[in-house]
Amino acid sequence: MNSEASWLARTLSGVLRRFGPLLALLLMCAALALLSEHFLTVDNLLNVFRQSAVNALLALGQLTVIITAGIDLSVGSLLGLCCVLAAMALKAGVPSAAAILIALGAGAALGALNGILFTKLRLPHPFIPTLGMMNVARGLALVLTGGFPISELPSSFRYWGAGTLAGVPMPVVVVLVFCLLFHLFLTRTTPGRDLYAIGGNRQAALLCGVPVDRRLILAYALSGLMAGAGAVILAGRMNSGFPLAGVGAELDSIAAVIIGGASFFGGVGTVLGTLVGALIMGVLRNGLNLLDVSAYWQTVVIGAVIVAAVWVDVVRQRAAQRSP
Amino acid sequence: MLSSRSVVLAVSLLSVILAAGCSRANRTKKLDIVLVTKALDSEFWQRLKSGAEQAAREDPEVRLAVLAPEREINIDQQVAILEDQILKRVAALAVAPAGVAEIIPVLEKARAARIPVLIVDTDIPWPHRAGFVGIDNRLGGRMAAEFILRAIGGRGKVAVIRGVLGVATQEDRLAGFLDVVSKAPGVRFVGAQPANSERPLGMTVMENLLTRHPDLRAVFATNDQMALGAMEAIAARNLTGRIVLVGFDAGREAVRAVMEGRMDAVVAQFPERIGRRAVQEAIKAARGLPVERFVDIGTGLVTRENAHEFLR
Repeated sequence: MNSEASWLARTLSGVLRRFGPLLALLLMCAALALLSEHFLTVDNLLNVFRQSAVNALLALGQLTVIITAGIDLSVGSLLGLCCVLAAMALKAGVPSAAAILIALGAGAALGALNGILFTKLRLPHPFIPTLGMMNVARGLALVLTGGFPISELPSSFRYWGAGTLAGVPMPVVVVLVFCLLFHLFLTRTTPGRDLYAIGGNRQAALLCGVPVDRRLILAYALSGLMAGAGAVILAGRMNSGFPLAGVGAELDSIAAVIIGGASFFGGVGTVLGTLVGALIMGVLRNGLNLLDVSAYWQTVVIGAVIVAAVWVDVVRQRAAQRSP
Repeated sequence: MLSSRSVVLAVSLLSVILAAGCSRANRTKKLDIVLVTKALDSEFWQRLKSGAEQAAREDPEVRLAVLAPEREINIDQQVAILEDQILKRVAALAVAPAGVAEIIPVLEKARAARIPVLIVDTDIPWPHRAGFVGIDNRLGGRMAAEFILRAIGGRGKVAVIRGVLGVATQEDRLAGFLDVVSKAPGVRFVGAQPANSERPLGMTVMENLLTRHPDLRAVFATNDQMALGAMEAIAARNLTGRIVLVGFDAGREAVRAVMEGRMDAVVAQFPERIGRRAVQEAIKAARGLPVERFVDIGTGLVTRENAHEFLR
């Protein structure tokens, strides 16, 4: 291959890597707009965004962990536990603001515990501590509630899931704010950039003086924090702290991150890509709902998209290894 | 690189287009009725769906869609499905609610959009529902208890294996069972253990019950799946026929088990009739005709004597 052609190929692959998911999202939207007259309406697009909000929040946390070449299997269960904790606090007469802090704090603390178990106990892979936390948190949510949902929450709390700000649903506002914060954290701060370095090569990062353990604990704490944020939105939207909330949500969040172009090998991934990944899943579900396609076909489609997205990642890795 | 990225596009686009192709077939029909169930993963929901589709075929103007989340516990997915259908301004919704407080806000949205909502299978305390089509679950629980009392001669320990907590159908079946059992002085109720309406959990819970209470005389499982799991646990300990086992729903597998003597009885629902009647009532509501507040589809008790009648 001559140098000009390889430059073109590199640029093209760079553009596709950056904007491929966004391009896919726009094409899907165009296709759905042609197929259903209901798709391209303000109400429906807000619906899609609102329905994708919890997954997008979890995916932001999952992204920070996947960038370090890790994985967090506990976010779905932490979401359920934080829902329950916030609802119980509200039922005990705690004001809404404090209940929100409880959900966020519990999520962050248990997320940090994931990180501590992984780094300090030297468990072989984050799969292990987060798998453990996944079961512990779900179990606690069920134990605390006896399995019953805790319903009828005060409206000042429900506002965060069901209210609007200047016509925009609050979940959408919350997602956009967190996207901005995570984008700034990952690209403009030293701890954020360290996460990419750790994911790229943990040994090298350690030798360069990156406090690897502390950074990893931070990444898992942030993932837990986002589970808490998702819990506030979900419990508010559903008017209920439901102990089985978020069963399987960890897999959706991982899917959003991967579809959004992050690499399971670590070191690669953006907030924009992840948001787009979550929206692709949301648009697929919403579009197929509008077209009256059963949920089972939706899972088939999303499964195919995940496999295709990861395959792209593998092909890219191989190409990168081959080039000098 | 280019080709692999386009595979992602192709897969998602193709599936959307294929899916749309299927749904575009009957665009000419006018009255859009949507039935949203809790799931479609069991015989019960599949039979309910086929009854609904039959009712839709009888009315040439009606276009029916039957949608559901992947699993009964995915309440948020059911909410999303309802939101999307409300946006389409369908003529009427028939909903088997997967939750109570979780679902009412989205039903209020339907009301705001002037879409009549018929509640199916699991009643909820929402005063604006057009009507309810289902069975009297409490009566079903009482029937199970009365059968068990006769079978054990009114003496001994009994237990219940139940589904998800907080769901009205499950609570009512248990309450009906306790109505009868609490008035029987010779019977000791040792508790209701949850098994989430799932077969493997039903088996596990039954094993634990048998370990804890070796002298257990009878078990009421509040759905078929749990009953079939419990049946395996009983069979594994060679206790078939010594412990009275009663299920709920009467799917084919359970009815066959009753015929073969591996299960003693099962309270029968008639899901085809529920689905059929639900769509018929939803059509009425869509046309602005009066709808019955409570359509009781009725229950039956399948025992060894009459089981063959339930296997058509």
